[in-house]
Amino acid sequence: MSNAMPNAIVAARDVEVELGGRTILSGIGLTAAPGEVVAVVGDNGTGKSTLLRCLAGLQPARAGRIEVLDGPPADTTDFWQDVARTGDEPVWYPGLSTREHLELMTAVHREVRMTVDEALAAFELTERADLAPLSLSTGQRQRLSLAMTLLRPSRLLLLDEPERGLDVTFRERLADILNGYTAEGGAIVMATHDLRLPEATGATVIRLEGER
Amino acid sequence: MNPARAYLRSHRGRPASWSDRYVTGFSLVLGLVLLGQPVATVLGGLARTADPARIGAGLALIAAAYAGLLALARAVGPIALPAADAAWLVLSPLPRRSVVLRSALILLVTAVVAGGVLGVAGLAVLGSTGSLGPHLMPALVIGVTVSVAGAATAVLAQASQTWDTRLQVLVAGCVLAAVLAALLSTVLGGGPGRQVLVAVAAAPASVVTAVAGLAAAAAALLVRQAWAALDRLPARGVLASSEKAGRVASAAVAMDPGALSWIAEDNHWRGRTLRSRPWPRLAGRWRAAAPAWQEWRRLSRRPGRLALLYCCAALPALAAQATGGLSALPVVALFGGALGAAATATTGARRDGDDPSLARLLAVGPRAVMAARTLLPTALAASWLVLALSGLAVAGLLPSGLWWALGVATAPALSAGALRMARRAPIDHSMPMVEIPGSPPLPIGLLLWALTGLDLVLVGCLPALAALGAPPASLASHVATQAVAGLAVLIGFVRRRPAR
Repeated sequence: MSNAMPNAIVAARDVEVELGGRTILSGIGLTAAPGEVVAVVGDNGTGKSTLLRCLAGLQPARAGRIEVLDGPPADTTDFWQDVARTGDEPVWYPGLSTREHLELMTAVHREVRMTVDEALAAFELTERADLAPLSLSTGQRQRLSLAMTLLRPSRLLLLDEPERGLDVTFRERLADILNGYTAEGGAIVMATHDLRLPEATGATVIRLEGER
Repeated sequence: MNPARAYLRSHRGRPASWSDRYVTGFSLVLGLVLLGQPVATVLGGLARTADPARIGAGLALIAAAYAGLLALARAVGPIALPAADAAWLVLSPLPRRSVVLRSALILLVTAVVAGGVLGVAGLAVLGSTGSLGPHLMPALVIGVTVSVAGAATAVLAQASQTWDTRLQVLVAGCVLAAVLAALLSTVLGGGPGRQVLVAVAAAPASVVTAVAGLAAAAAALLVRQAWAALDRLPARGVLASSEKAGRVASAAVAMDPGALSWIAEDNHWRGRTLRSRPWPRLAGRWRAAAPAWQEWRRLSRRPGRLALLYCCAALPALAAQATGGLSALPVVALFGGALGAAATATTGARRDGDDPSLARLLAVGPRAVMAARTLLPTALAASWLVLALSGLAVAGLLPSGLWWALGVATAPALSAGALRMARRAPIDHSMPMVEIPGSPPLPIGLLLWALTGLDLVLVGCLPALAALGAPPASLASHVATQAVAGLAVLIGFVRRRPAR
């Protein structure tokens, strides 16, 4: 458990979640201030993704207090303008190329963190820019998903297993990209199975222990 | 028998008992009894002289249906295997023909049934002078042989690129024949066109028998070639078709018809290289409309589908001619076609409804996006209706009036209905069944799913339906009422903030 900080982007205390009559999370707390990374680790089924869904306002907690950007998280447009989330692979819009999915982000958001070409280069997708996302490999689709998340402006990133499908080389590169994000003042909460990622990003590690 | 199949059959569990056979036999007899009466009624109604005004339209519909069947066979495979057979037997050293034989037999039976229906439909269009008997058999023979020949061509097309090209030419030829028959019936309706069609309908029995014989000989030749081709069907093609069929089967088992259109859409884009273009730059609050541009771009990349869509605008006029007036069938074709046209441009709304991850990442107001997404379906429904209503007017099936304006005024309601259909939740199978005396129980979940979207169409199109049911002397008041009703339904739908 962490102590709540006055300027925290995320502050959760004593979070308790029950799913299907079974307690998934109990007495969990975390805090992330601007520039901080919190990594939630633990075995399968210990509630990492559930905790991230709570922080995104997609899963109500039975008890506890969660504040994201000075208010309770809610699935509203205003909330998502400051919070970006990557979880399971999204369904892609049919008829658009990889580049056009990134272009769409720049068309919607007033200011972006990088241009489409920079995002394609950073996520090693330049050669695949004109392919439909369904033509990409699993790892490339995960890179596209991360590129869309990191191209747009946000103050908080919620990443559920961002290393999924990525090769070892790109995992190291991802750590650099995330460090760049926090250097600009953003906060990151991520669930991960790759313990090198918290180490490379200087994350505060929260280990969830659950029933097996 | 294929040794693998013999092994599988021997391990399938207990053999069929007498009670199993009794149930199967009883079901067959019951099916024949239930179907016998309607089939006899339909066949009895065929013993009449052809109406020259309906021949062209009827033949056009039959040619279009045949083209549709061929295109469907090509899209499905036509030889596809269950997932387990595809995984274990196709890549084994077993003779390919023995592995795919069951699928080939299913295809043959399907082709025979479809051919029978086509033959009866042909007889209904061309009519029969005197007693039905001498005409029914040649009609059935021609229908079945043409259908079986089409299925054989599709099998050959699966085995060889040359035959695939021939099959595509055949489909295009059938579409062309449908267009020609439609033109003969409408544009040249009263002149030489009708004489040609009447001459076709009045062909002597000897000519019909000769045609049937020739068709049977050609079909036999093609079936022989297809039989030989079964042994050299490429594994890649069979596996791809089987995967497609497997997904369709899972969608059917889960009773989620919406998944079928997803499969077709994903299959189309998978593996394609697209020419990326910049997104239109919108300023200020108009940025929220940017996601809607995806639909315009997607449609611009499928010009063939768009052309086919607009060609289908002739169907209501053909159906009206074939049925002798503006009956229920052409009206259903009119509104169903326009709703289908609107629904072709709702993929973005459907994706965001099924998985809102990208919508959350875009972080724009759902109401603003939905408002922008209504434009293309409205434009498509309006243009399709204008064409279809003009077709009906040109064919003399509607009195003169502002029918095109009625089409434009109806489009917003159809757009709202199509978008509501795109956003509907999957079927709730946990809902109870309704017992209706004299009919099988009706699942409420399925009923509600089917009505979601259609409800808005029915409410929003009432003035247009009234105008078509009893065409008034002046359409102006109907157009105005329809415009108000259509816009009210569309605005109400958009203002009701959709769930993310």
